[in-house]
Amino acid sequence: MPELIAPIAGNVWKILVAVGDKVELDDEVVILEALKMETPIYCEESGTITEIKVKEGDAVNEDDVLVVFG
Amino acid sequence: MSRKQTPLRPYFEKMPEIGKQLREGEVRRSQANLELVREQEEIIAQEVERVKKAGMPAEKIHQRGGMTIYDRLEYLVDDGTWNPLHTLYNPADNEEGCTGVVNGLGKIEGKWAVIIGFDNKVMAGAWIAGQSENILMVTDMAKRLNVPLVWLTNCSGVKLMEQETVYAGRRSSGAPFYRHAELNHLGIPILNGIYGTNPAGGGYQGISPTILLAHDGSNIAVGGAGIVGGMNPKGYIDEEAAQALIEGTKNFKGKAPGRVETHFDQTAYFREAHDTEEGVLDGIKDYMRMMPAYDPTMFRVAEPAEPKLAVEDLNLILPANQKRPYDAIQILARLTDNSEFMEYRPDYGREVFAGIAKIDGLPVAFIGNQQGVFPGYPEYAEGAYPGVGGKHYREGLIKQGEFVTLCGRDNLPIVWLQDTTGIDVGDLAEEAELLALGQSLVYSIEQTELSMMCVVLRKGTAAAHYIMCGPQANNNNAFTLGTPLTEIYVMHGETAAAASYARRLVKEDDAGNDLTPVLDKMNQMIQDYQEKSRPVYSAEKGFVDEIVSLTDLRKYIQAFAGANYQNPKSITPVHQMLLPRIIKG
Repeated sequence: MPELIAPIAGNVWKILVAVGDKVELDDEVVILEALKMETPIYCEESGTITEIKVKEGDAVNEDDVLVVFG
Repeated sequence: MSRKQTPLRPYFEKMPEIGKQLREGEVRRSQANLELVREQEEIIAQEVERVKKAGMPAEKIHQRGGMTIYDRLEYLVDDGTWNPLHTLYNPADNEEGCTGVVNGLGKIEGKWAVIIGFDNKVMAGAWIAGQSENILMVTDMAKRLNVPLVWLTNCSGVKLMEQETVYAGRRSSGAPFYRHAELNHLGIPILNGIYGTNPAGGGYQGISPTILLAHDGSNIAVGGAGIVGGMNPKGYIDEEAAQALIEGTKNFKGKAPGRVETHFDQTAYFREAHDTEEGVLDGIKDYMRMMPAYDPTMFRVAEPAEPKLAVEDLNLILPANQKRPYDAIQILARLTDNSEFMEYRPDYGREVFAGIAKIDGLPVAFIGNQQGVFPGYPEYAEGAYPGVGGKHYREGLIKQGEFVTLCGRDNLPIVWLQDTTGIDVGDLAEEAELLALGQSLVYSIEQTELSMMCVVLRKGTAAAHYIMCGPQANNNNAFTLGTPLTEIYVMHGETAAAASYARRLVKEDDAGNDLTPVLDKMNQMIQDYQEKSRPVYSAEKGFVDEIVSLTDLRKYIQAFAGANYQNPKSITPVHQMLLPRIIKG
């Protein structure tokens, strides 16, 4: 199933979706905070959120899976 | 059969296309950003309206049968070519709320000129605090761009109640007379349309340009009628002296000296005298037709073209949230002809982009900050921290220095697109020679003879704002623009508060004291930095020369490029340029 991956290491600042939400291409799903910047993570395809693997405040590494959707 | 073409066609006619169309989802999620941009534009628009209404109402001038400065500019300047500058500038925070001059870059009869006029609604065009700085920047611009300076003179002289703010000092209102002399000496003509009463300071404002065209009702003179009236020898005004003044004033029937019957009929300072205000402006147009100007064909490397990607997208792409990154190439793609760009060393110094684009078919260099994160870069900090867009590192500084130097050789004017948080700091940065490389870029800029312009897209911070041809590059920077998202400060307010109060916090904490008073001071500082970095504040203080909407940026860049190539002092034959060959390899 498609996954949303962290492009950089950082902290999960905001999660903008919940399990079950329908999302479309380019929707903003998670915002990471790193290096004094907010890095928004966008959907690369449409789908429904099936699992959120992180919570706000978590530290994540590059390539960590953040959200799973189908 | 005759055949014609633009030069070095294989390099310039079709350059690599950059940028991408915005997808539907990208447009959708950026609507909130558009609203934020519009909010800022509204704030700026209100201030512009306030300045335009400064002084007496325009209707009063109209009732007397006269034209305001805005009417004169409307009549004089070719439609669609007016690019105002210094609209909100008021560095002395004077009570008039403006500098009393209106200026910009515009075309008259198809030729670019730096144009400035006194706002005759504001104290009949008196010298007021802050005005001389405005005028000096305008004379600098004419010199930098090597285009005519056009004056619409209507100057009542010193605002006598505040003479100490305008009269004396190195950069006072007398300095422009020397600047006019300098421009003339350099072969840059100053055309002067003269209206109203211009005594003393106004007189020298009238006489110092090259070509004087006067309205019949105008005068220019060493002194005004009031001064001709005499002075009180006692050192103060008492009742007796007051009565003498009253009598003298009531009986005064003299006319202001330096009228048309003197300076057209006798001294012949005035080339022309017109009974209508429009006549003076028509005279200026006649002289502008005589001004030297190459047809742009001389320097074009391709036919002019609009960007392929929509300029309106700029309000969606550039985040109002300063902590958000974006792809700077998407911005550039909406400023250049055909959304094309010939990039110099794209894989080296990735935190900045540099290259050649076309603006109205003319070759123009662009340098700017890329945004985002660069893992594994810079090399000198590998393992310690990643590179961040907006900052400058060793490779980026070297690249910019090389590129500027080569632009000097190739006579390419440069547009700088700043959105920068500073140069990298710390031991690793010092060992990587960033301090000297920053100054090396300053030297590279200074040693060219190029005209440059700067746009502070969002952040102009620390020394990076200086070294990227900020307004501090007095000899090269023709003008600096801000946008509705500009913020300019030495560092972010939170950083400044930490730097200023961290030790105090430790001290108070160690003593077991309540930290609230210190926190209050820190938050006050953050608020202060916020207020004193806003676009309107930046324009009022002269941190930038004008705040323009993102969608108007290309118009100013076109004016800059057009003016630069109108009468350049140095030419590199296009077929002898080095940069396109270096880029191609």
